[in-house]
Amino acid sequence: MATSRRKRLGMMFAAGAAALALTLTGCASNGEGGSGGSDRPLRVWSGSMTPINNNFNPFSVDTAAHFTFGPIYEPLFFFNQLSADPATGLIGDKYEYSEDGTVLTIKIKADQKWSDGTALTAKDVAFTFGYGPNKDPEMVSVEATDDTTVVLTYSVPKFTAASLILGSTWIIPEHIWKDIKDYTTETNPKPVGSGPYVLKSFSDAAYTVEANPEYRDGAPAVKTVQVIGIDSNQSSEDLLKTGKIDWVGQFIANPDAITKDGRISTLNQQQDPTTMLTCSSVELGCTGAQTDPAVRQAINVAIDRSAISDKAFAGLSGIASPSFALLPRDEKWLSSPDLAKSPQEPNITEADGILEAAGYTKGSDGFYGKDGKSFEIDLFSPDGWTDYNDAAKLISEQAAKAGIRINNRTVSEAEYWTPLANGNFQMALYGVTQSLVADPYSTYDRYFSTPATAKVGEQPVKGVNYARYSNPIVDAEVKVAAATEDEAIKKDAYAKIQTEIARDLPYIPVVLNASQAFFNTKDYTGWPSEKDLYAAPLPYLSTASAIVLTHLKPAK
Amino acid sequence: MVFYVRRILFYVITLWAAVSLNFLLPRLLPGDPAAIMLGKLRRANGGRPLSEETIRGITSMLGAEKGMTFWDQYIAYWGRILQGDLGISSTRYPAPVIELIGAALPWTVILVGVATVLSFVLGIVAGAWVGWKRGTWVDHLVPATTFLQSIPYFWLALVLVAVLSVQLGVLPIIGGYDVFDFPGGPEWSWAFFGSTVVHAILPAITIVISSVGGWLLGMRNMMVQTMSEDYVVTAEAKGLTPSRIRTRYAARNAVIPSLAGFGIALGFVVAGSIVTEQVFSYPGIGKLMIQSVQGLDYSLMQGVFLVITLAVLAANFLMEMIYGFIDPRVRHRG
Repeated sequence: MATSRRKRLGMMFAAGAAALALTLTGCASNGEGGSGGSDRPLRVWSGSMTPINNNFNPFSVDTAAHFTFGPIYEPLFFFNQLSADPATGLIGDKYEYSEDGTVLTIKIKADQKWSDGTALTAKDVAFTFGYGPNKDPEMVSVEATDDTTVVLTYSVPKFTAASLILGSTWIIPEHIWKDIKDYTTETNPKPVGSGPYVLKSFSDAAYTVEANPEYRDGAPAVKTVQVIGIDSNQSSEDLLKTGKIDWVGQFIANPDAITKDGRISTLNQQQDPTTMLTCSSVELGCTGAQTDPAVRQAINVAIDRSAISDKAFAGLSGIASPSFALLPRDEKWLSSPDLAKSPQEPNITEADGILEAAGYTKGSDGFYGKDGKSFEIDLFSPDGWTDYNDAAKLISEQAAKAGIRINNRTVSEAEYWTPLANGNFQMALYGVTQSLVADPYSTYDRYFSTPATAKVGEQPVKGVNYARYSNPIVDAEVKVAAATEDEAIKKDAYAKIQTEIARDLPYIPVVLNASQAFFNTKDYTGWPSEKDLYAAPLPYLSTASAIVLTHLKPAK
Repeated sequence: MVFYVRRILFYVITLWAAVSLNFLLPRLLPGDPAAIMLGKLRRANGGRPLSEETIRGITSMLGAEKGMTFWDQYIAYWGRILQGDLGISSTRYPAPVIELIGAALPWTVILVGVATVLSFVLGIVAGAWVGWKRGTWVDHLVPATTFLQSIPYFWLALVLVAVLSVQLGVLPIIGGYDVFDFPGGPEWSWAFFGSTVVHAILPAITIVISSVGGWLLGMRNMMVQTMSEDYVVTAEAKGLTPSRIRTRYAARNAVIPSLAGFGIALGFVVAGSIVTEQVFSYPGIGKLMIQSVQGLDYSLMQGVFLVITLAVLAANFLMEMIYGFIDPRVRHRG
């Protein structure tokens, strides 16, 4: 009896499934559209989720549509963060600093036009630098001396701000923006820019840009580009597999499954270091065992970075350097080959040695401490950043093997940033943003210098030195490096900084994050490759996305 | 008449309490959205100091007005609500909340609404049938559907997408309509309507599969119970046809408790199906909710919760009115 019942149940399931499949095939008719053809739009997912904001205001840094930055509005120059080559001119032609670095003279290319046909002159550039949040308190004057020359004068040397001033200030047309008083609430739904593309249509699920006929190098070969909003990485992976989209920059654990049929190619760049951020300075109000450099040094040698890279980052991450220079790009700034790599294998004997030399003893529970009480360090990461969560778990387990107690927990994203900014934390997994140019200056200035930090309880006003790291040698050398263009002096300053930060480890490097890009090489040619990294092929990177688009051609 | 007046009064008070709670809840959450937003801006700004103008703009927009008492904030909140001004979103700055909700609401209401009604009707009809034929092989439908309901929704959706959309390619993977065919957004045409229908099939199926079991089980049990009532036996003794007994006598009475549950389910339609919208990148209000909570976007959170509260209350009110109409006992005791 029982068996016959079960059989019937099985049959019912089968019948139901068949019926379901029949109705489904009957319904789906349209939806094809993956095949090539030169006039179809190139489809991109730049990481936007739906609903996409109808906002093309270049001053809405966080909320404007991605293609505002690069494809529609341009900076003066493009700084390729993957290479040490000099900047490429976009609106700008060349630039020059005065001897002391306080006067910056910019020549722009002649006969350029905005997408509405109005002439783009040095006046627009000068207007941009004097507009809204672009106004730098250290700027003395900005002047367009003729149609193609702009002179910016500052009260302090600005050698190190080149990528900021020239590479990420979005040039806006004066004839439109002079009437916009409140740039924070402007949504600029009909943007007039100088970039290779102009906005064609917008909906909150996707927007389309088309080639700008007024573009100074002529309209790009790819005539239309559609940017789509997708809510999950899995959906984007599925769309890529089925040939619905052509270009994404996202994490895919198993890239071979995507690239095996030869249509999609991938490029993996490792740039931004993932670190264990520690609240390091007792003077500035940090508490906990991690304020002792010896403890940080012991953790640094006790963790198994190769296991973390394999298990938490799917083996796609790169090797971090305690000098925080990006190798091989910043090779010339590296003071010693010893600082090229953080230890990849754990060395528990060395960790024991460091801790014992610093006066710690192992208690009966197998954990180190002082005065018979073992210490605990709290380590957190934002819930849902799965690679970070996994890495934190591994770190906690690996440190326990060396007798260091690290308690791992996850917090909501909202509760992640506030304690970091205010300094109310002990240790957190944290991503440091790599400098955009082949010079680690901005990393040292923004993450390691005293002016970039604040007391615990206050937020840093300038910079993101959340580690509360304060070291007079680093501060002095950052100042030295800022005031010169002489490579020998700079190198010497960086060597001193690197010695300090690699010893003190306010940020304990873990890995270099992978940034994977996937793109359709069957229907489009001209993508960046390992041999020709003219720009990072990541659609969410401002300016670089536009550089890549202008290099592309539909395949015949 | 007294019944209706009482109920309306009760709902007005509930409405006031709910709207006040809606004001309070986000303010009890940890974290400071203005500080978070400023931090984000500073980072995005390449570490450049923000102008005084920007900072003031952010702090006044995000509702963390300095020097404003709690009471003043509450009064201002009511003033805004009565004008239909739900403020400006910070995560989607500077888009007005009312516009965001307005754009998302129809998608959710139609998809989740249709799926809920479909699931209810299917569950009730099947439940009545299973209850009627109790003790035969159709009883297996109960564990089968409850099993389907116990599959994690997320997983079910991913499997369906992997098989039907990626492998077989018969249904679209994401969206409320084909963004490739309609790059300009929604339009009034049959082609567009067809596209929305095709895009709704998969999300709707997953919702129905994962919710029909509850309705079926409830209806079946009520049906079994009703069939042992004296009036059913009387009807059988009178020699009425089995189909008449099934529909007019048993099922009609058995459906009453399920209808009450349906009222509540309808109210929650507006809350959307957060996971559905996430998996299918379907435009809808659940997504706004989750994004606003993640970004501590007070205005948007309040707006979304307010709309959900209103919808639940309205649906309950409606069902109670209908209930009072079909079941006279409620009217007298109320």
